[in-house]
Amino acid sequence: MYNQLIIYVIQTTSIYLLIAASFSLIYYPAKFFHIAHAVIIASAAYLTFLFAKQLSLSFTLAIIAGIAGAVCIGLLCEILLYSPMRKRNAPALAYLIASIGLYIVLQNCISLYFGDDTKIIRTGEITVGNEIFGAYITNIQIITIFVSIALFITVNLLLQLTSIGKSIRAVSSNPELCNIYGINSNKIILIAFGIGSALAAVAGILSAMDTNMTPTFGFNLLLYGVVAMIIGGVGSTKGLIAGALLVATAQHLAAYYIDTKWMDAVTYVILILFLIWKPLGFSGKQLRKVEI
Amino acid sequence: MEYLLHLLILIAFYTLLAQSLNLSAGFTGLISLAHAGFYGIGAYTTAILSTQFGLPFWINLPLAMLIGGVIAFIVSLIALRTVEDYFIICTLGIQVIVFSLMNNLMDVTRGPLGIPGIPAIRFFGINLDDKISFLALSVFFVAIVWFILRNISHSGFGKTLKAISEDEIYAQSIGKKVYQAKIISFTLSAILAAIPGALYAHYISYIDPTSFTVNESIFILSIVIIGGLGNLTGSFFAAAFLVLLPEALRFVGMPDNIAANMRQIIYGLILVAVMMTGKNGLKEFFLFYKGNSVKQ
Repeated sequence: MYNQLIIYVIQTTSIYLLIAASFSLIYYPAKFFHIAHAVIIASAAYLTFLFAKQLSLSFTLAIIAGIAGAVCIGLLCEILLYSPMRKRNAPALAYLIASIGLYIVLQNCISLYFGDDTKIIRTGEITVGNEIFGAYITNIQIITIFVSIALFITVNLLLQLTSIGKSIRAVSSNPELCNIYGINSNKIILIAFGIGSALAAVAGILSAMDTNMTPTFGFNLLLYGVVAMIIGGVGSTKGLIAGALLVATAQHLAAYYIDTKWMDAVTYVILILFLIWKPLGFSGKQLRKVEI
Repeated sequence: MEYLLHLLILIAFYTLLAQSLNLSAGFTGLISLAHAGFYGIGAYTTAILSTQFGLPFWINLPLAMLIGGVIAFIVSLIALRTVEDYFIICTLGIQVIVFSLMNNLMDVTRGPLGIPGIPAIRFFGINLDDKISFLALSVFFVAIVWFILRNISHSGFGKTLKAISEDEIYAQSIGKKVYQAKIISFTLSAILAAIPGALYAHYISYIDPTSFTVNESIFILSIVIIGGLGNLTGSFFAAAFLVLLPEALRFVGMPDNIAANMRQIIYGLILVAVMMTGKNGLKEFFLFYKGNSVKQ
C-alpha cells in the first residue's frame, strides 16, 4: 500500500513542480502573481480536446497545437494587458486584481464554449497499469513523471547557462539596471511569459489526461503550485522541490489517513503554518515591501 | 412585484457585503478574498443557532457577529504578518479552509446537504416572512452600516487607515499603530459581513456551502473595485448594477445558462478595464475624473 502512496506522491510532486516552476518563471521577472496562469493550464488541455476530439487531428498534432495555443494566450495577456499597465507604472496589486479579472473572463469563455461538465481527453481504454513493487502505475503517470522532471531540469539549466536565462535572472533582480545595461526588460518578461505558458500548458495536458478536466481545474492546480512556491521560498530551486514534495505528501497522507475531502484544507493549513513560523519558506529571499 | 422585491433585497445584501469589505479593502488597502467566508460564518452561525437551539434573530445576529469577529481577529493576527500578493493568497487560503469546513464538517453543518428550515424573523410575535417588511429590515441595516462606515471614514481612525493604504511605512514612521489599525479594520469588516450572513440565512431559509465559495469572494471584491475603493456610495451602485445585470441580459433575450457566464465575463472585463486604465471604479470612466487606483 505504501508503494502505491509513494507513486502517487511522486507523480503529484512532479506536476506541482512543473506548475510552480512555470509560475515562478513569470513571477521572478514580472514580480506579480499571474492568476490568469490558471486559464493557460486549462486552455492547453481544452484546446487539445478541441483539436483531437472535435476537429479529429492526430493526438500528437493536437497536443502541439494545444501548447502553441496556450502560449499564444499567455503572450497576449502580457502584450495586451500587463505591458500597457507597466508603461503606466501601475501599483503592484493592480496587476494581481487585473489578472483575477482576466481569469474570470477567460474561464467563463471556456465554460461557454465547452460547457461545465467533465471532459475526457484520454484516448483508448482505461488500463489497470503496470505493476511495480506491488503498486500500479499507468502509462500516463509514468510519462507525467518523466516529462515533468525532464522539463524542470531543462528550465533550470536554461536559467543557469543560456544568455536568455541569465537575462531573465538579471531582470528578476533589478529591471532598471538591466535597462541601463541594454537588456530590454519588457522583452525578457515577454520571453518569460512564453516559456512559463509552455510549461504550464504541458502540465495542464498531462494532468487532464490523468484525471480529466473541468473549466476550473487549472485554478486548483495553480494554487497548489503557488503554495509549493511560497513554502519552498521564492527564488530557490531546492526550495521549490521541497515545497512541491511537502504539498504532495501532505495531500496524499491526508487523503489516505483522513479523507480526500480534506486535501484542500490541509494544503492551506500548511501554507498558513509556514506564513506564521517561516514566512520566507525553506530557503527564501526577503519579501518585498520597501525598495530603496 | 415579488421578484422585484427579491432583487432589491439582494441589492441590500450585496451593498452590505461590499461596504463592509470596503472598510478593509478600500480604506485600509487590505484586499481580502476571504469575505465570502466571513459572510458564510455569519449565515451558518445563525442557521445552526435558530434550527438547533431555536434562538430568535435578535440573539442570533449579535452572536453571529461575535463569532465572525473572533475568527476574523485570530485570522488577522496570522494573515497580517504578510503583505500585498502574499496577503491575498493567505486570505484565499483562509477562504478555502472555511469553505472546506462548511462543506465537510458533516456533524455541524450537514456538509453539501445544507441546513434547511431556518425560521423567518419574528419581532414581537409578528412574522417578517413577507418580502416588503424584510426589505425594510434590510434597508434599516444598510442605513446603519453605511452610517457607521461613513463616520469611521471621517474619523481620526479613518484618516489613519487612509494613511496606511497610501504609505504604510510613512504612517508607521509618524507613530501610527499600523498593525493594530489593520487588525481592527479587518476584524470590523468581518463583523459587519456577518450581518448580511444572518439576514441571508433567515431570508432564504435554506443555506448550503455553494453560496460562500471563492468565486463569491471574488464577486464581492469586484463590486468594491467597480464601485471604487473607499467609495461607499459607489459600492451601493456597483452592487445594484451587478445584481441587475443578469436581469438586463435576460431582458435582451439571452438564455439563462449563457447569461450566468456572460455576467461573469462582463464583470471580469470591467475589473480588467478599471485596473488597466488606473481609474478608481467605473464611475471615473464617465466623469472623466483622474484619480488613483489601488494604493501601493
